[in-house]
Amino acid sequence: MKILLVEDNERVRDFVAKGLRESGHVVDQAANGRDGLFLASSETYDAIILDRMLPGGIDGIGIIEALRKTGNKTPILILSALAEVDDRIKGLKAGGDDYLTKPFAFGELMARLDALVRRSQRADVETVLSVGDLRMDLLARQVTRAGKPVDLQPREFKLLEYLMRHAEQAVTRTMLLENVWDYHFDPQTNVIDAHISKLRQKIDAPFDRPLLQTLRGVGYKLGAS
Amino acid sequence: MSKLLRSTSVRLALGYAVLFILSSALLVGLLWWRTADYLDRATEAVIVADTQAVGDRLRDFGLAGAVETVKERVRRAADERAIYLLTDPRLNPVTGNLNAWPLEVGQRAGWYQVGLVRDDRRHATRILHVLLPGNFHLLVGRDVEDRVQLRALIFNALAWAAAAAVVLAIAGGLLVRRATLGRIEEINRTASGIVRGDLSRRLPVRRSGDEFDQLALIINGLLEQIQQLIEGLQTTSHAIAHDLRTPLTELRGRLEDLLRTRPPAEDAFRQIDDAVADVDRVIEIFNALLRLAEIDSGVRRSGFRRVDLGRLVAEAAELYRPTVEETQATLAVEAAEGVEIDGDPFLIAQAVGNLLDNAAKVAPAGSTVTLSLARRDDRIEIAVSDRGPGIPAAEKPRATERFFRGDASRGTRGVGLGLSLVAAVARLHGGALVLDDNEPGLKARLVIPATDTGSLHEKRPTLA
Repeated sequence: MKILLVEDNERVRDFVAKGLRESGHVVDQAANGRDGLFLASSETYDAIILDRMLPGGIDGIGIIEALRKTGNKTPILILSALAEVDDRIKGLKAGGDDYLTKPFAFGELMARLDALVRRSQRADVETVLSVGDLRMDLLARQVTRAGKPVDLQPREFKLLEYLMRHAEQAVTRTMLLENVWDYHFDPQTNVIDAHISKLRQKIDAPFDRPLLQTLRGVGYKLGAS
Repeated sequence: MSKLLRSTSVRLALGYAVLFILSSALLVGLLWWRTADYLDRATEAVIVADTQAVGDRLRDFGLAGAVETVKERVRRAADERAIYLLTDPRLNPVTGNLNAWPLEVGQRAGWYQVGLVRDDRRHATRILHVLLPGNFHLLVGRDVEDRVQLRALIFNALAWAAAAAVVLAIAGGLLVRRATLGRIEEINRTASGIVRGDLSRRLPVRRSGDEFDQLALIINGLLEQIQQLIEGLQTTSHAIAHDLRTPLTELRGRLEDLLRTRPPAEDAFRQIDDAVADVDRVIEIFNALLRLAEIDSGVRRSGFRRVDLGRLVAEAAELYRPTVEETQATLAVEAAEGVEIDGDPFLIAQAVGNLLDNAAKVAPAGSTVTLSLARRDDRIEIAVSDRGPGIPAAEKPRATERFFRGDASRGTRGVGLGLSLVAAVARLHGGALVLDDNEPGLKARLVIPATDTGSLHEKRPTLA
């Protein structure tokens, strides 16, 4: 993927750019708002990582608004040291696609970026999701694994749907909390782990090959590989 | 003196004094004018009647008749201070009680005001000069010295009253100054003391319930709040200093140790892994503290909207149920329906989550954790009860302090900010966190006043 990284802090920028390159992405960098907006509007990117507060006359929110006004729909992930709910809402309202608070784990950034790009590329109407021999019929709201029906509670269904839509991708606990439960705070314990373990009981336990893996320090991944 | 004049109350008092003097002068002046006018006209009527009587006698009975009449009138009016003088055309007295023609009275007929000396005193006298047939001159007058004295008396009284008014007004001004501005000065002094940094000072309240007391009470309340905020800030900074230093010290030690010992790669990576966990812990504490500070500052009221607590409680239960069940306990929900308040849904959810999280940590296997929502009159209560060890009575007052960790929670995960946050959320919503004995266990009750009025707060978009 080709990614634009706009961040004024040099060390953060280097650290993120290095990580992205190691994951096989091409990275363009800008250290201020003006250069960032110039690159974002003259080149084509798969995704933009944008710091909220930038020098150079135009800040992150300004860049997003300028891009969205010209019809540019590139997925944008906002990085910010402002963690309050209001700031988050402001960033997303302006047209950002996701919001990550500093300091962050690189795994979290990668997982969110992947999810963003995947979402923007996804075909509009999918009625059936499948990962290996796990199959989810979104219309009939039925799940089967190796042809055998798996009985899921509504929330478990939603959790599995999210994991299947992001199959083969790392998904963090915070992403699950935000997208499956619509909670925007970190519970003190990993409540998500308990839900995942219940889901495992249903989709993995009766079968030989587990599909749902725990990624240490990052979160989870659903995949056949 | 100039300071005295700058004082609002003294200026006000002087203003009132001037107003009082003007109004009494007006009153007395009017009174004087009307009285004098009346007396003047009465006197003039008598004088005119006398001159007519003398004139009539002269016409009917000649000079002798007129002289007779004047004499009789002089006799009759001896003590009335009446003046009569009949003269020939050359102004030589014919009869009367004046020995000579007064110089102030001219040749022309008409009214004159003259001063006549009698008993060695000068008496103001009103005199009418008429020309009688045969060019006789007649002067008839009345002593009006009484009136002059009356006028002097009235003006005298007015002057005294004015002086008294000024004195009273100044005294009143000083009294007002002592009573009201004195208190304002008290407020000024206290406020200056506070500005200089003595936040413990309070304005005196006299319990009279007047405006100054109300003002003092409001300002004291304000000071109380400021002091609490500042103390909260101090506690927080102390807490940060203490509780961030510990993991930071560990982290520093770990990294230094790594540098010094240069262990083989595999060991080094494990150490770095632990170091990252240390950092995460620091971030976690940091975030929790910021959130607490944010809630306590009241800024979060901007996130208030109408919240369906039944739904919120059900969702929290759904999220935490597997966590509770992992300890082989069960979660029971007893939620009343249709309970709504104006509040911050994220914060209330987090508070309920923290309570459930605490309960899940201590619930013994086979026990039940109960999450309930009920409305009691004008209060709404969200309670989480468990059958764990509970909080000893001695620890209860400190349980919601930042970073406080009771004996029972030693060895469990957490940094000791959970209940502080719940208490802060309760405060933000005008309520309180009450920790009761569940016999055995803990019953944590989040008590919030019900808000029935429809939400006036702007609806905010929710995040997808």
